[in-house]
Amino acid sequence: MSTSAEKPAPGTTPKIKSAVNAVLVPLLAVFTAMVLGALIIMSAGGEPVAAYRGLIEGAFGSAQALSETTVWGTPYIFAGLAVALAFKGGLFNIGAEGQLALGAVAAAWVGYALPDALGVTLPPVIHVPLAVGAGMLAGAIWGAIPGWLKAHTGGHEVINTIMMNYIALNLTSFLLNGPMKDPAPLNVVARTPRIAEGARIPPIFAGLRFHWGFILALVVAGIVWWVLQKTTLGFEIRTAGANPDAARYAGVNVPRTIVMTMMLSGLLAGLAGATEVTALNYRHELGFSVGYGFDAIAIALLGKTHPLGVVLASLLWAAMRNGATRMQFLTQIPVDVISVIQALILLFVAADAIIRWIYRIRAEEERLVLTRGWGG
Amino acid sequence: MGNLDWRRLGFIALIILILIGVVIMVGGDKVAPSVIVISMVATTISVATPLTLGALCGVYCERAGVVNIGIEGMMLMSAFFGWFAAIYLNTILGVSAMPSLTLGVVAAVLTGGLLGLLHAVLSVTYKVDQIIGGTVINILAIGITGFLNRQLFFEKASIFGGQVPHAPGVLPRLHIPWLANLPIASIFEQQPIAVSAIVLVLVTHFVLFYTRWGLRTRSVGEHPRAADTVGISVARMRYANVIIGGLIAGLAGAYFTLESVPSFEPLMTNGRGFIALAAMIFGNWAPFGAWASALVFGAAQALQINLQFFRDQIPSQWAFLQQSYIVGMVPYLLTMVILTGIVGKTTPPAADGVPYEK
Amino acid sequence: MRRYLLASISLLVVVTLLAACGPAGEKEADCSDADVFCVGLVTDVGKIDDKSFNQSTWEGVKQAEKELGAIVQYVETTDSKDYGKNIAQFGDAGFDVIVTVGFGLGEATLEAGPKYPDVKFIGVDQFQGDVVPNVVGLIFPEDQSGFLAGALAALMSESGQIGAVLGTDAVPPVWRFGEGYRAGAEYVRPDIEVSVVYHNDVGFDKTFTDPEWGKTTALSMIDKGVDVIFGAGGKTGNGALMGCAEKGVMAIGVDTDQYYTVPEAQAVLLTSAMKLLTPGTFDLIKMAKEGNFPAGGNYLGEAGLAPYHDLEDKVPADVDAKIQEIDAALKAGSLETGVSPVKPE
Repeated sequence: MSTSAEKPAPGTTPKIKSAVNAVLVPLLAVFTAMVLGALIIMSAGGEPVAAYRGLIEGAFGSAQALSETTVWGTPYIFAGLAVALAFKGGLFNIGAEGQLALGAVAAAWVGYALPDALGVTLPPVIHVPLAVGAGMLAGAIWGAIPGWLKAHTGGHEVINTIMMNYIALNLTSFLLNGPMKDPAPLNVVARTPRIAEGARIPPIFAGLRFHWGFILALVVAGIVWWVLQKTTLGFEIRTAGANPDAARYAGVNVPRTIVMTMMLSGLLAGLAGATEVTALNYRHELGFSVGYGFDAIAIALLGKTHPLGVVLASLLWAAMRNGATRMQFLTQIPVDVISVIQALILLFVAADAIIRWIYRIRAEEERLVLTRGWGG
Repeated sequence: MGNLDWRRLGFIALIILILIGVVIMVGGDKVAPSVIVISMVATTISVATPLTLGALCGVYCERAGVVNIGIEGMMLMSAFFGWFAAIYLNTILGVSAMPSLTLGVVAAVLTGGLLGLLHAVLSVTYKVDQIIGGTVINILAIGITGFLNRQLFFEKASIFGGQVPHAPGVLPRLHIPWLANLPIASIFEQQPIAVSAIVLVLVTHFVLFYTRWGLRTRSVGEHPRAADTVGISVARMRYANVIIGGLIAGLAGAYFTLESVPSFEPLMTNGRGFIALAAMIFGNWAPFGAWASALVFGAAQALQINLQFFRDQIPSQWAFLQQSYIVGMVPYLLTMVILTGIVGKTTPPAADGVPYEK
Repeated sequence: MRRYLLASISLLVVVTLLAACGPAGEKEADCSDADVFCVGLVTDVGKIDDKSFNQSTWEGVKQAEKELGAIVQYVETTDSKDYGKNIAQFGDAGFDVIVTVGFGLGEATLEAGPKYPDVKFIGVDQFQGDVVPNVVGLIFPEDQSGFLAGALAALMSESGQIGAVLGTDAVPPVWRFGEGYRAGAEYVRPDIEVSVVYHNDVGFDKTFTDPEWGKTTALSMIDKGVDVIFGAGGKTGNGALMGCAEKGVMAIGVDTDQYYTVPEAQAVLLTSAMKLLTPGTFDLIKMAKEGNFPAGGNYLGEAGLAPYHDLEDKVPADVDAKIQEIDAALKAGSLETGVSPVKPE
């Protein structure tokens, strides 16, 4: 992996060229994966063009479709930002799923139980921020725990965040099947009651599920960028991530930064859960494990851990997931082929040498290496 | 036998005894304690099998210096392809049950080996971040198995005609004639892969600590530069070990669909690849330690099963034991506690996870 | 680089041309046409091939395809949040009958009923408390079926210990099977030890698709001396049956005659506690086609025990006689199982 300096071609500035190069590999990774996906579809007896047409139609083909794509995209953006932020800090947060779940549970509880517990009705201007704030807090705590463990005991955050995911799953299952279960007579599913009117963020357009959470996600992406690039905290995070020893010499409190990074990362994931509850579903329901944890990693990598990249990658991921059901309905191609394509995208992004070899692109930036073993 | 950390093993034995003890305390009136002990041990050995094998896979990979979190994906993929091979042979080619199952195991093992090769290529040749590489394998496994599972068994145009054909059963249990009528028989009448797991623990221990090859492996994981200087090919040792690890993970996959139940469910591995990693870490990257830790997790699972059986016997002050979700958290909490090093420092191989640059 | 980019684009163009030369589009039958009779099925979270519940209902729909010339299609639900969406796919496409399988779909079906007033909804295992004109609940007396199974198990047990391995008891039919089993066993043999274990420790999506747990639980029971096990709950129950087969212990299946659906267990399968989903579904579909679909409410299907098959010789004549006697009494109403319809809070 050599970084060869290149004389800019006449007529292009280095900045534009490096911007183009930055998106080139991810774009080509997606393209190559789609081509391979087409081959897989053909081998399964389907027609790639019809399949992809169904995919696009399902993702963008109508106001309804677009709205659904943003609905899928919102938690992806938050979770992707969470993972990207952790990456910037040199940490691997696989726990987005658990942090998201607890954020949702906390927000839901504040949404439906708090008014009764306090004996008052809360006006939206108080109730909504409380609910969302509770979600952020829950996620932050759930992220801080593995962060603290890493900083002070050396326990590697990969295993700990995965374990926290399972613990969160058990905890939410217990709560949603037990004390927090919706007591409505016909209900057998594990879910909370609906949150109070005052805790709900109304939809933007009647009839479409497009919600304020999406707008919030875009804003938060901007905030994350700003924090990372323009604040001291962001500097500390990035430095500790790039080279902990150098950071220590520069006076950065590395253990504290690790905890902060994981806490903020968890906060973002918790925010994903909180917005789902307050702006979309108005309750929390135990769902089939969607694998947000791994999706978020793929998104963060595809977006090169840059907030803008994360937003774009999230929308791509959401488009694929959303469009896939339409694709299956029209062409009988199983939705799982999307997972294969997504795995291939991740493969090509991670081993970008493959892409660079196919398309003869020179490497210009540092390879992302995070593994420093299990510590200890 | 040298190289055994007796303190750690003793601690582990204590935990298992406590878990068995809880069940005896709860159910001892309804069922004889000796029966409970035998039942728990038999269940523990059986369910610990994929964890043991997964942990051994981890030991091989990481002792050579390559972090492998893709064990879960390897197990899932092998479970599917092993099962598919057995069904294909039995249903389409008309091969009878036992050979189908045996060849199915072979297919599963080879699948694991192939994924091991992929991981080695990504980690050693392309020097991709090893955790990302493992993640790729996990996501790839979920996607491919989900896709093929549906394509092959639910589409009318497929070779199976849209039906899931009847699988040729599972691998048979060992039958020990002179033990057969004793209650204690159920501990020893295990299925082949469960037995292989135990044998592999012994083999790995021997290979890793008593052979030249094992010495080379460990040197490549601790001081690759020194090993390189002495003429050991770091890349080749790493490739070999990761592929071997993959083969073992493949055997773990075979357990799910060829030994446990003759059917495939999406995501059926259910996080056990990660628990296997935890077992490896708690076992301090040693075969016996890893096996003992796997047994702890197996015992925790056996505890859950038995508490459900004795649900009505649980005294009211311990009502929380009736909450399966709470009890279900135990293995994961245990792992986190273990990782804090409170039970003894765990030391990974020094060069674990660092790509080797010549 | 340009060369390779060009190459890939050409590849894509070639692929597109190849695909375009293929069959043009899919033939789509128009269900909104009054002459076309379309039946759609929405499964609960779980697969169409779970070898009992979803599959049997689907068999009834396929029978309609064969005998009534209906166009049939199914949608598998992967996430309970998608219930409404999946039903809507059929509703919007103009299907005439929509079968929703399972208690979990009850709420979504009742919501869809008024939205698609011309569609006939068959809600399998969905008890209708109030009458919605185009929604009929296909329900079964599972407790009676379970009662018979329990009585048989208790009479056949030599160790005096019997067991049951089931899905979650939050689903009323499962609860009724399990408690019916217990009641039936205690009715014929008051000193019998019955261990009924429900798989409530996992989510709704997994509770019926966990054969590994089913088998491990069954084996654990067998270690303790249980010698007859009732496996009830989709693939989870099937796992229990297979565990019994491995250890040579008698087993009882559920929902359909599992002698045919789980052949691995044939050697030990005593009987199955059936609810006749296939004929029940088919009959209602036929009624819909012929125009005499019930105007809402509940339709009671049939339940009973399957034949003994391979274990015919093992069942003593007096045991069989007793079972017949209990069956008759239950059907006549002179004997009550005493099982509550749902699990009490």
